[in-house]
Amino acid sequence: MTELTQFDLVGAWISIFLTLCILSFLYEDNPIYKLAEHLFLGVSIGISITEIYYGVFKPNLLLKLAGGRWLSVIPLILLVMLFFKVSKKYSWVARTPIAFIVAAYAGVKLTGEANANLMTQVAQTMPDLATSWAEHGFWDWSADGAGVFSDVVLVVGLVACLVHFYFSRVPPSVTRYGAKLAIFAGVGVMFFTAAGLLVVDKAGPFSAVFLGMLAGVCAAMPFLAFSTYRPWVTRFGVLMLMLSFGASFGYTVMGRISLAIGRAQEMLGLTRPMEQVVQIHPRIASLVSIVLIVAFLVVWRMRGGGPKEPEPS
Amino acid sequence: MRSTVPLIITFFVGLFMVFEFFIPHWGYHWVTAEFLEWGLILAAGAFVLGLINLVQVNLPKVINRDEDWGYKLIMLISLFLTLGAGLMLGQEGRQDAGEFYKWLYDFVFTPLNATMFALLAFYIASAAFRAFRARNVEATVLLVAACVVMVARVPLGENLPFIGEKLPQFMNWIMDVPNIAARRSIFIGAALGAVATGLRVILGLERSHLGGE
Amino acid sequence: MYDLLQRFQNMDRRWIFAGMALAILIPLLFPVEFEFAVDERVSSLYDAVEALPTGSTVFISADFDPASRPELEPFFRANLDHLFRKDIKIVMATLWEFAPPIAVPITEEIAAAHGKEYGVDWVFLGYKPGKELAIKSIGENIPKTFPTDSRGTPVGEIAVMNGIKQAKDFPLLINVSAGFPGTREYVLQIQGQYDLKIASACTAVSGPDYIPFYKAGQLVGLSAGMPGSAQYEKLVWAESEPPKGTRKLATQAVNVLNLGHAYVILLILFGNIAYFLTRPKEVSDD
Repeated sequence: MTELTQFDLVGAWISIFLTLCILSFLYEDNPIYKLAEHLFLGVSIGISITEIYYGVFKPNLLLKLAGGRWLSVIPLILLVMLFFKVSKKYSWVARTPIAFIVAAYAGVKLTGEANANLMTQVAQTMPDLATSWAEHGFWDWSADGAGVFSDVVLVVGLVACLVHFYFSRVPPSVTRYGAKLAIFAGVGVMFFTAAGLLVVDKAGPFSAVFLGMLAGVCAAMPFLAFSTYRPWVTRFGVLMLMLSFGASFGYTVMGRISLAIGRAQEMLGLTRPMEQVVQIHPRIASLVSIVLIVAFLVVWRMRGGGPKEPEPS
Repeated sequence: MRSTVPLIITFFVGLFMVFEFFIPHWGYHWVTAEFLEWGLILAAGAFVLGLINLVQVNLPKVINRDEDWGYKLIMLISLFLTLGAGLMLGQEGRQDAGEFYKWLYDFVFTPLNATMFALLAFYIASAAFRAFRARNVEATVLLVAACVVMVARVPLGENLPFIGEKLPQFMNWIMDVPNIAARRSIFIGAALGAVATGLRVILGLERSHLGGE
Repeated sequence: MYDLLQRFQNMDRRWIFAGMALAILIPLLFPVEFEFAVDERVSSLYDAVEALPTGSTVFISADFDPASRPELEPFFRANLDHLFRKDIKIVMATLWEFAPPIAVPITEEIAAAHGKEYGVDWVFLGYKPGKELAIKSIGENIPKTFPTDSRGTPVGEIAVMNGIKQAKDFPLLINVSAGFPGTREYVLQIQGQYDLKIASACTAVSGPDYIPFYKAGQLVGLSAGMPGSAQYEKLVWAESEPPKGTRKLATQAVNVLNLGHAYVILLILFGNIAYFLTRPKEVSDD
């Protein structure tokens, strides 16, 4: 049997007590919650700084300087310059290291976002309609709705969302051309796609024309941003956004409830081996903590604690 | 001069880091690896700066017995106790079970950190009841999508009669098609914004990080 | 009736909190289990690990904290067991300062259950701040980023680090990600540049954000939230038991979500019903 030390047993009870201190905020903001909150702040900053020291300062700076690596003097100088930020008179000295950091971040973010978020995502949006048609047809339930319908909805939805973001206002003079350009692009792409599928891929005439039509719809969509049909496009984009945000909300609810489940499992002793549960008695600890906290809140309220009524004017 | 040197540094370091993506030469990457290490050290220094600022703000409040000074005292004591324990126990010692630093992490920090976020479950339930109204078509679509995902994501949803098989498939369709369409449009917009901001910073058009004169 | 509905809509939110607490506690005290299927995204993650040759080395970035433990620790444990069972070596690091005291003891426990030796079969390199810069640095040069492991041993003296210089030297990177910095930053900064295979286990909140990365081929597998962890547990322990000291916490907890979600859906439903029933009177009063 794993013997827990007295230190650990006391710690386990304190852990449950602190959990309920934070949960007391659900009743209302109270001193016991504030105490726990400030304790959390202090301990978390202490842990952060400790880990930073052992994670960066010691291996990447101090040990290298001690090993005689002269190049490490440069980050040391920059670090010292950074600490001038605390002085009102000499805070300008910190501009150099701040400029270095900001520039480094700007540089890596620029290429990272452009490559992964822009290039790759746009490239992956272009549907391979012929392969999709061959593998899944129009709609394949067993593949979670994969098929050419979903491919077209994806492209049209993406374009609609971008039109909604970037083309909220279009000069009326431009809207004359949108529909004409859309027809031109749509018919053109439809023709070349169908022709390509017939000649190169040797697809059947129905498939070629059908897929050509779908490709034409995808190609025509962006031009509708400059037509009188733009509100229809943006409405579709908003519907896509609402579906996505609704899904996000569902996942968020799941995530938040999961965190609460984790705490409940802890307080009921479901996360620990039975040998430890028998030593700690987490359910008794929870009950005792609840009694103590409720007693405190009652006394606090009786002594005038809690939200004050506004004085009558 | 006080702004010119930082702006020049911003320009050259920024460009250097941008070209790192395109230039495979080992010598170039040796320099960028150095820059990245310096950046890590300075990023760590910013944390310490935050600590100094925290003490600068809160210590006078404790000394002058301002409002809530007791809580600030608790915060400062726990901060230095944790820091002291971590630094005194050493790199290996602090990770050992039974040591005070580990005890603080396991029995003070862990329940507090976890419960702070667990509170959100209750507030999201309250928000769902009070704020989520199907006032128009768009809001209704949002709520229906949310309910579909919430039902389909749990084992109960998969075991419902009649719709139990199709519901998770429909949920996956929502995640794979409308969700991706919307997210990609947001990513593309964010990427364009990030590129524009990055260029503005590197070219010195954006100077807010340098502060005033 | 109108007044009742108005009072219902404006009721003290503490009653709602109490209902939520019951919706969580009741299924924990009186568990009811339902079968669940495994997502294609989680299967892909499992298959990516299964495809690793015996004796290869993977990089794990354990970027989570106590707040995200319920969602990610079950995956983390199952993944470690999966990797050690296949005799795959592990190089672990983290971008979150609160991760080491969680990640290291769990890894030690599961490594000991498999008879794996620190330094030979696995190593924990430690924590690095700097977010994107740290990730870029990992992509560029790992020994330079982590000159020593978390215990202070120079990486050149650690057997498992032999031949490892950059992120692309690993056939697979696994990111257990609770937020920022995490999977998104790994994908943005180094996945494309070095053509890396990255698998991710993330919290439910991040799931919808990372699905486009999975669909675009930037991730080889994705486990989102507690259901993802439960599904991965199901795959890893389909024919075996978890190591001693490890419980199938996600499998246990995922059935608690049944009542929790049902409660939230009922709140939305009743809230809207009350709203629509009281609305015509407000409109006619105007």
